[in-house]
Amino acid sequence: MRPLVLDLCVGGLCLAMLLALVRLARGPTVLDRVVALDLVIVCGVGLIGLITLRTGTPHYLELILTCSLVGFLTTVALTLYLERALPRRKPGVDTPPHGPP
Amino acid sequence: MTEHLAFACALSGVALMLLAAVGLLRLPDALCRAHAVAKATALGIALILCAVWLDLGPGAAGFKVALALVFQLATIPVASHLLARVALHADVPLHRGGTAGAAPPPDGSPAAPSRARHSAET
Repeated sequence: MRPLVLDLCVGGLCLAMLLALVRLARGPTVLDRVVALDLVIVCGVGLIGLITLRTGTPHYLELILTCSLVGFLTTVALTLYLERALPRRKPGVDTPPHGPP
Repeated sequence: MTEHLAFACALSGVALMLLAAVGLLRLPDALCRAHAVAKATALGIALILCAVWLDLGPGAAGFKVALALVFQLATIPVASHLLARVALHADVPLHRGGTAGAAPPPDGSPAAPSRARHSAET
């Protein structure tokens, strides 16, 4: 039972990563691509966790920590860069409820 | 018993990640996609790491998994909030006029060109 369930889990995560890669290739705006990249990295962390579950060795745990840290920093850096690079909404037409702090 | 619990956690976590991917593919704009991905991904990865924690048991290895779990649960909402803030302030097309927190124009004039074009497409 153990290999069957783990194979099912690995297949599901690979399918999720594939769907996220489709959105990463198709995404109409750059923000959709950033969201899809975030999901791809989180799916990779889940796959490493499933490898740990299958082999039973704790040698990949540092890899889990490092990958999650890299994914978070990627999203934050891209977001801070895009906040300056993307054009703002026109004021008066689409005014957000709160201005920038 | 513990093994079966770990398998149940891993399976439900993978199901949630699949749900996040389907939401990312099907929902209409960047805010909706960030919404779907943030919630389902946070719970899904937490369940998968709980399965790993149950399998490894307490000790140094379990402590590292718990650290990764807390880190993921703390960082995924922060990243999603930053993304949603950029999507709110930047000039990207949104699904419906006025859904970004702004009231629709009071005199019935058409919304912004980007929004009107996008809602005509979808």
